[in-house]
Amino acid sequence: MKTIHITVLILIVAVVVSTAIYQQQEQEETKLKVIYAGSLIVPFEELEKQFESWHPGVDVQMEGHGSIQVIRQVTDIHKEVDVLAVADYSLIPDMMYATPSGEDYADWYVKFATNQMVIAYNNQSKYADEITESNWYEILARPDVTFGFSNPMLDSCGYRTLMVTQLAESYYDNQTIFDVLIACNFEPTISVTQEGDTYIVFVPEIFEPHAGKVVVRGGSVQLLALLEYGGLDYAFQYKSVAQQHGLLFVELPDQIDLSSTEYEDDYKKVKVRLGFQRFSAVDTERVGSPIFYAVTIPKNAPQPELAVAFVQFVIGEAGQKILGDLEQPPLVPAEGSGVVPFALEPHSKPI
Amino acid sequence: MKEDRKTIRFVVIIAVIGIGAIAAVMYTHPFGAPEEKINWNLTLIGTAEKVVTFDELKAMPSYEGYGGFFSTVGMINGPFKCKGVPVEDLCALVGGINDSNTLWVSAPDGYMMVFTYDQVKGDFVTFEPATLKELPHGELKTILMYEQDGALLSEDDGRPLRLAIVSEDKLLTEGHYWIKWVDKIAIRAIKNQNKT
Repeated sequence: MKTIHITVLILIVAVVVSTAIYQQQEQEETKLKVIYAGSLIVPFEELEKQFESWHPGVDVQMEGHGSIQVIRQVTDIHKEVDVLAVADYSLIPDMMYATPSGEDYADWYVKFATNQMVIAYNNQSKYADEITESNWYEILARPDVTFGFSNPMLDSCGYRTLMVTQLAESYYDNQTIFDVLIACNFEPTISVTQEGDTYIVFVPEIFEPHAGKVVVRGGSVQLLALLEYGGLDYAFQYKSVAQQHGLLFVELPDQIDLSSTEYEDDYKKVKVRLGFQRFSAVDTERVGSPIFYAVTIPKNAPQPELAVAFVQFVIGEAGQKILGDLEQPPLVPAEGSGVVPFALEPHSKPI
Repeated sequence: MKEDRKTIRFVVIIAVIGIGAIAAVMYTHPFGAPEEKINWNLTLIGTAEKVVTFDELKAMPSYEGYGGFFSTVGMINGPFKCKGVPVEDLCALVGGINDSNTLWVSAPDGYMMVFTYDQVKGDFVTFEPATLKELPHGELKTILMYEQDGALLSEDDGRPLRLAIVSEDKLLTEGHYWIKWVDKIAIRAIKNQNKT
């Protein structure tokens, strides 16, 4: 009987002591909060793993959102975040540098990765063996073909789809591409006006395709699922997302795929005006520009030194290799703008 | 006698541990505390304008169903048991909504979404929680939720009012519709923005 009592007591003490040790360890772990654009999910999960393995005692806590939501976590929802990474570098100066209300959330960013628009598909897609860089708009227009893109009100890939199709008209010298692929399939329709040499695409407040040919979803996740389950033949996507999910894709000419600084002036000739202001802090006009991902550290980051170490890792050799290996083209060297922390300067060149 | 004393000592130790555990649970999960008063005004704008307090909204006929959502990166939340007031009933308080209107739902954090009349009536794409595969659905209701899984909403979940899309089935909808901290619902005529 006595032996049983002692054994029970030892067990209880062991449980209490080990719980205390575990809690102590948890308390000692430093948390680094990183919020990133949804299309970075694959490389950032790997960056988290490797950064943690090289920094024992650091728990990198990752959270993915649309790029505007990434910034709003700091500026509107007032969460304490250490590192932000977005799919459109211009959002950082627009939303975080000295705001009209006088608040100043950041004063620098570093461009660290690029991307390009492609048309993703799989082996089951209709005319998969025919589609090329020069005939994609004809294939997509065929009556038995379905295609999709994300909602431009909600996702940068969505308004970039509208830019690509409008730019295609000039590149292919065919003034019907936007109308046939986009405008005709929506009720109310999506119209385009020309001001000088700039085209403005007006997205109505109700953005709904009226027939089954075109499918619009909130983001890439839903479109990937549709492609996988045969609900769609083609989808406009970022190249990195198509590659990371093992999809086939058609690369588009540099002149229209929003990848190249060489064609920056041409991209600027298309603007998309959104039907309502989803975020009070962001206006409704998006201007065509090359796709650059950027990272910054908010001024109120709880772990600023560790945050700098993380950004160093992302834009340094090891981070660039992870990005490249996971089909997210790194920008080499990264390009800094604003008051970039001194420790990051060797890894980036000023813009 | 000696054996009895040992047994009593053992029972006392176990009892002390048990009482300690119960005390710890009560400390972290108190019950019986008076319900917190929620000061929140919901502004409804239609052909008329009306401000509804949280208590007034809670006193309206409610609808309960299941619903969940997923984020931009596919992170799944729910399905939860959701309780709230059908948005259509709220619209009825300020003149009602029809197919020539859209519904503009906003929150003090600066977020806003526009819903079509069909969406107010429950026309959404629904997804299977395990695979995110699109699935057909039965009747959906768009509600202004105040209770999730039997408790008032937490701050992170949009306390006190969050837009939710629910049904008898445990399905998901896209997360951007689930607006947190809703404080304004406006019925507007569809605007023709198209320039030709």
